[in-house]
Amino acid sequence: MSPNSVGLPVSIVMIEDDEGHATLIERNIRRAGVNNQIVPFSNGTAALHYLLGSDGTGSVHAGSSLLVLLDLNLPDMTGVEILARIKANAHLKRSPVVVLTTTDDQREIQRCYDLGANVYITKPVDYENFANAIRQLGLFFAVMQVPTTE
Amino acid sequence: MFKRFLMSARAPVALTITGALILIAVVAVSFVIASRTAVLTDDVLQARLLRSAATEELVTLLEAETGQRGYLITGRASYLAPYLAARRHAQSVLANLERLSHGPTLVAVPIAEIWYLTNAKLDELQQTVSLREQGRGDEALAIVRTNRGEKLMEGARADLSRVSLEADRILVDDLAALNDYTDIQRGVTGAGGLLAIMFSSLSIWLLLRSIRDATGARTELESLNTTLEQRVLDRTTALTLANEEIQRFAYIVSHDLRAPLVNIMGFTSELEVGTTILQTYLEAEEPEQRPAALAAVRQDMPEAVRFIRVSTAKMDRLINAILKLSREGRRQLVPEPVNLGTLFENLVASLHHQVVATNTSVTIRPLPTIHSDRLALEQVFGNLLDNALKYLAPGRPGNIIVSAEGTRDRIVVSIADNGRGIAEQDRERVFELFRRAGVQDKQGEGIGLAHTRALVRRLGGDIAVRSEFGVGSEFRVQLPRSLQDRSIAS
Repeated sequence: MSPNSVGLPVSIVMIEDDEGHATLIERNIRRAGVNNQIVPFSNGTAALHYLLGSDGTGSVHAGSSLLVLLDLNLPDMTGVEILARIKANAHLKRSPVVVLTTTDDQREIQRCYDLGANVYITKPVDYENFANAIRQLGLFFAVMQVPTTE
Repeated sequence: MFKRFLMSARAPVALTITGALILIAVVAVSFVIASRTAVLTDDVLQARLLRSAATEELVTLLEAETGQRGYLITGRASYLAPYLAARRHAQSVLANLERLSHGPTLVAVPIAEIWYLTNAKLDELQQTVSLREQGRGDEALAIVRTNRGEKLMEGARADLSRVSLEADRILVDDLAALNDYTDIQRGVTGAGGLLAIMFSSLSIWLLLRSIRDATGARTELESLNTTLEQRVLDRTTALTLANEEIQRFAYIVSHDLRAPLVNIMGFTSELEVGTTILQTYLEAEEPEQRPAALAAVRQDMPEAVRFIRVSTAKMDRLINAILKLSREGRRQLVPEPVNLGTLFENLVASLHHQVVATNTSVTIRPLPTIHSDRLALEQVFGNLLDNALKYLAPGRPGNIIVSAEGTRDRIVVSIADNGRGIAEQDRERVFELFRRAGVQDKQGEGIGLAHTRALVRRLGGDIAVRSEFGVGSEFRVQLPRSLQDRSIAS
């Protein structure tokens, strides 16, 4: 991923409760040649705290670039809620959110796009496809432009 | 027997038919009596006419004889006029008598004999009158003295008197019969009328009763209909809820079981990658491959094994949890009287260690005794008390209040705490399987409340939560006072 306008590299915020999944995702993204910083969170509360900052406004990330990799099924809240909070936040709303989850329920997919999700990917059950999907996502990250947070 | 007949639906119809039959019988009897009366009346009339004709004939003959005697004695013509009139009259009256005697009468009239006697008498009278007219009075008196005329008169009188008597007898008999018929007619009409009134009244009463019954049944049906709609609505709502819950359950189970499966397969592949690196290094023994091989042996491969182990353990826990819920759903509930006050005291005693450790005060207000499954109630309230003690707000002594309120057939048990509370968006989520809310600083699988809600619903109740984030939560368990046998198991 190209650095943003002020030269800061894009951070990938990975919100994934399953440590194993997180590890597999990180490995496969790395294998695609993406070397950006990955900030992992295993629950929604901690992730929201990081994203919105201690003042809850999200201004803490002004000037940096974030890409959110989001699982929907978290132990303490749903990923949909995090998505809604990001897209409703003045600072974070333009940060790309990639929903990466096991659900292929059509209503859930529609709801996520309605809330402003940029990409929705269903985690393949079989690992070959899973690894492939993550690697392709990594290649996609390498070419995509991420806006600077205001 | 009769009462049962009256209560049957056929009773009014049967009574109406019986009433109609009685009326028909009355009419038929009246018709027969009327016909018989007409015949008798005819007979009476006939007998009367006969009697008067016979009497008149006798009187006429006597008149003729009287006129003749007067003329024979006095020779005056003034006696001849009644004689002549009676003579003429005697013929026509006798003709009338003969006509009547041919009519429908039971009186035997010896009409030929009467004709003979009458004519003979009239001839004898005429003979004497003629002799007197010719001045042969002595001859005429001589004829009278023969007593022939007297004998003829006696014969006619006897015959005519017999006819009169006979007619009188018939008259008396027929009048008596008429009287009897009138009595019968009166009796039949009276009894028939009485029966008709009885049956009509009974029919009307039965009809009124069936109308009243029908009205009552309709009212009942209407009210049933209204409550039926409500019951269908309630049941539909309950089924919809249950259905949504099952869908949600299936979704959660499939998702949560798939997640560790992806890990197991993923890290199996990672193990393969490590194996390949090791194999390559061991076979070629290239020194530059040594760091990668070392990394695989020291870090990647143990990590993969650890993840596989953790994921397998997690799957095992999930499957056990699902099995537990399923077993609970199948357990036979045994309703018995349960004193909730004692039940809560025992639960608090069993949680004594946590109560003391968290410096919590537990207040149990007066609780009723209900008829329900003891084990299920212990699990439900044990879970709720355990949660209340587990999710207290840090830095504030716990305060848990258990209370109950109720209506005639339902109670609501409230377990209120001053703990950390549940955020608004999580208040439904906390009841879902494998889902938890808030800061994840306590051990747990996300099963407790899902299990609790399933149990409460099996007990015929429901559970709800009121909460304010950071202030406290109140779980309200609504239960029937008496657990009924329920065909729908949750």
